[in-house]
Amino acid sequence: MIVDELFDLVSYRVDREPHIKVNQVICLQCTHKACTFICPAKCYLWNAEKNRIEFAYELCLECGTCLLACDRDALEWNYPKGGFGVCFRLT
Amino acid sequence: MKAYDVIVVGAGPAGSSAALRLAQKGLKVAIIERGNTPGSKNMFGGMLPRCPIVENLIPNFWEEAPWERHVIKNIITFMTDLSSTSIMFETKNFDKPPYNGYTVFRPIFDKWFADKACSSGANLFTGCLVENLLRDGNAISGVKIAKEDGEIHADIVIACDGVLSLLAKKVGLCKETKLSDMALGLKALFYLPEEDINQRFNLVRRQGLVHTILGCTEGIRGGGFIYTQTESLSVGLVLHLDALKESRVAPYDIFYRFLSTDRLKRILKGANLIEYSAHLIPEGGYKSIPKLFTDGLLLAGDAAGLCYTNGINQEGMNLAITSGFLAAETVYEAFEKGDFSAKQLSKYEDRLRESFVLKDIKTFEKSVDLMNNDRLFSIYPEIVGSVFEKLLQNNGKPRKKIGHLSWNIIKDSMSIKELIIDLIKVGRFIV
Repeated sequence: MIVDELFDLVSYRVDREPHIKVNQVICLQCTHKACTFICPAKCYLWNAEKNRIEFAYELCLECGTCLLACDRDALEWNYPKGGFGVCFRLT
Repeated sequence: MKAYDVIVVGAGPAGSSAALRLAQKGLKVAIIERGNTPGSKNMFGGMLPRCPIVENLIPNFWEEAPWERHVIKNIITFMTDLSSTSIMFETKNFDKPPYNGYTVFRPIFDKWFADKACSSGANLFTGCLVENLLRDGNAISGVKIAKEDGEIHADIVIACDGVLSLLAKKVGLCKETKLSDMALGLKALFYLPEEDINQRFNLVRRQGLVHTILGCTEGIRGGGFIYTQTESLSVGLVLHLDALKESRVAPYDIFYRFLSTDRLKRILKGANLIEYSAHLIPEGGYKSIPKLFTDGLLLAGDAAGLCYTNGINQEGMNLAITSGFLAAETVYEAFEKGDFSAKQLSKYEDRLRESFVLKDIKTFEKSVDLMNNDRLFSIYPEIVGSVFEKLLQNNGKPRKKIGHLSWNIIKDSMSIKELIIDLIKVGRFIV
């Protein structure tokens, strides 16, 4: 088993619009970039070449960890529209 | 023009309990759920502790509800890299109906529970996200859902919208959530045939087990868990968010290393991973409970921060169901009086204070301090392991008595000051 197998087993209904918006200007100033390691779905990656956060909202588990870990107000955080987003089958 | 007497936001255990009770009392109730089905956004260890209120709401609850196994066995393990020390308790008293606790799957249980509310007359709307609350002056007078003409008016709203409690923040009932008041739960669900589970954990029929593990979180405050369902195992970690952020380690990496330990590998041999999930858990205890009511609005369940752990009991679902029920009782009384003011609704808090819900959270107020002790998750499992190893080791050297031996290990592991601080905390916790 490899760690990425965990993420492959989650079901989603992906909306076209991201439900969380990242303010890249603020992220650029952020020294800890906690979102890039604390998100349990690995949605946030720091792209050093482009100097920006790459954010994959499609994989979000809607837990809210990033919202609490971000202490700079860089996230405009909402749940996905009704019926969209993660869909746990059994858990 | 109001469409409903009461709108309940969220078809989790708190929401469906409230809606069921209100519908039973003859009020016109709508439940609004953002998932496509109730429970599809929920993650859970987990065990529903026996909950007498739900037995009042649904007679023969334990016969009818779609639970997986009834828990008869609890194990607490202190784990280190090399050793593990466990305490196991099981009793025949927990093997008799209505049983002491049940493992459940939330998408199945929550749907069943919401259907119960619907068969009593509540209306369930799924796939609808409540974007905002409607106001009439200072009072909450309904909800706005993210659809055209999405304004729905009601006399009272019960917000059971879960741990982040975005609606409570919108009305100013709770301020910023502190990182230190939250834990992140991660869980992997593994399929394993029923007979293998029974054999591996020494269970028969639908007997179940709850296993709590300390010392498996790489020094981060938190713990591990294993719950048995009929044909699956829920294996996971709970990590305190402040400690996790400080560690700069990815939670799934810690989780993966936990799953890769020899002990877990043996338990999971031949098991197939079927689902992964993560969710926040309110762990701030009594001090972090927000104001629970305002004009025209009540909070219940995780949205009200009604959840606690004292290291032995982990409760949430039973508190959610009970708080939903007590919210419904308060709302019904408000309808009888025709008064939906905060003053009238404050009786909800009185009811919660009289019930085990706030009493238990208050009783274990100090256990939050104990759980916030880093040593509990690193040094103590090592001490317990070392004491037992020295007691049992055969090396031709003279043995020492347990007290002397333990003292030597403790004083090598920590300062006397730390020990005294911890003893005081433990003292507050146990008496």
